[in-house]
Amino acid sequence: MTDTQWPIFEVFHQQTRGEPHVHVGSVHAVDAETALLMAKEQFARRQACVNIWVVAADDITATPYEDADIFEHGTDKSYREAFGYQTTKRAKAVGDTEEI
Amino acid sequence: MSDLFNLKNLPTDLKPAVVDLLYRLADDSILIGHRNSEWTGIGPILEEDIAFSSMAQDKMGHAAAYYTLLHELGEQDPDTLAFMRDAHDFRCCQFVALGNIAPDAPAESPDNCNNPTRDRLMAHGDWAISFVRQFLFVQADVVRNSALESSRYDPLASLCRKIRGELRYHTMHAESTLRHLAHGTDDSRDRIKKSFVYLWPYALGLFEATAHDQALADACICPTQADLQREWRARIDPMLADAGLTIDESVQPKFGGRTGKHEQALVDALADMQKVYRLEPTATW
Repeated sequence: MTDTQWPIFEVFHQQTRGEPHVHVGSVHAVDAETALLMAKEQFARRQACVNIWVVAADDITATPYEDADIFEHGTDKSYREAFGYQTTKRAKAVGDTEEI
Repeated sequence: MSDLFNLKNLPTDLKPAVVDLLYRLADDSILIGHRNSEWTGIGPILEEDIAFSSMAQDKMGHAAAYYTLLHELGEQDPDTLAFMRDAHDFRCCQFVALGNIAPDAPAESPDNCNNPTRDRLMAHGDWAISFVRQFLFVQADVVRNSALESSRYDPLASLCRKIRGELRYHTMHAESTLRHLAHGTDDSRDRIKKSFVYLWPYALGLFEATAHDQALADACICPTQADLQREWRARIDPMLADAGLTIDESVQPKFGGRTGKHEQALVDALADMQKVYRLEPTATW
């Protein structure tokens, strides 16, 4: 079905400073300025928010779902994972007490 | 600044002036909130519908807070003030009570067995009128609110500081939307122009002088309406000029609201707004 509405902007929402922006949905808008105004009411009127990003959906480059097999883990590669290292544990301990 | 006034030390001779000011603020807020909320579900596009409705709810919240300040000063409880007073008791300007329909719309509307107001809005509603009113109103609202943030009546000042952020969004939304419509298409330009001409005399009614103006200004509780109007004009004149909207300085303002003289539009709005509450005023919600 053809989308006859305004362009889509993806909306990313940040709950507190320092936290990552999280994708929460999208809005239709004529431009980025309007998208921000609309996103504020659609996605931040009930929950905590300190910052919003909007990104034109057309500007996002994504992997095709037909290529999803590139993400599959064929063999056991736990040796690649970092959770066994002392440094990781130390970093985690610091991260729990203060914002990195 | 001299000592702040609160509930306990507000001089008796100033109380009627403060009460009148709070009624004007509360009644303006509840009426613009009610009129704008009539668009909920049938706004121009989904996102704008939600944003416009959310701002209408903000204004309902502001009204509830002003009514609470009135109640603290000995007036009736907020629900009674909102839902049991008649049109002549309201102190809103006529501007905020106007319907969302152009004055030259056909008198007849289809009966879709929905409700007459909504049927009429769906057939003849003009969102340009609602939006241009919202633009002119929020600019006045923010001028008034920032002045009152340093009001000597402290309960009012602290409320105004609390709602500053919400009003900031209202002005951002209004300014951006006006710019987009004014620089949009011939249709969008024509429609905001037509609405502006219709609304301007009513908008001036926001600043109708009252018998209490000088007392409130002398007591540092609220600047005079003339001062607020000057500040409003300084804010909006460049924006209106950018939007190609020309002000007719010779028009007669639509006054009367601040002394309880209203048009049929307020009677109609209250009939809808108060209908459910008045079915059973003692019901618990």
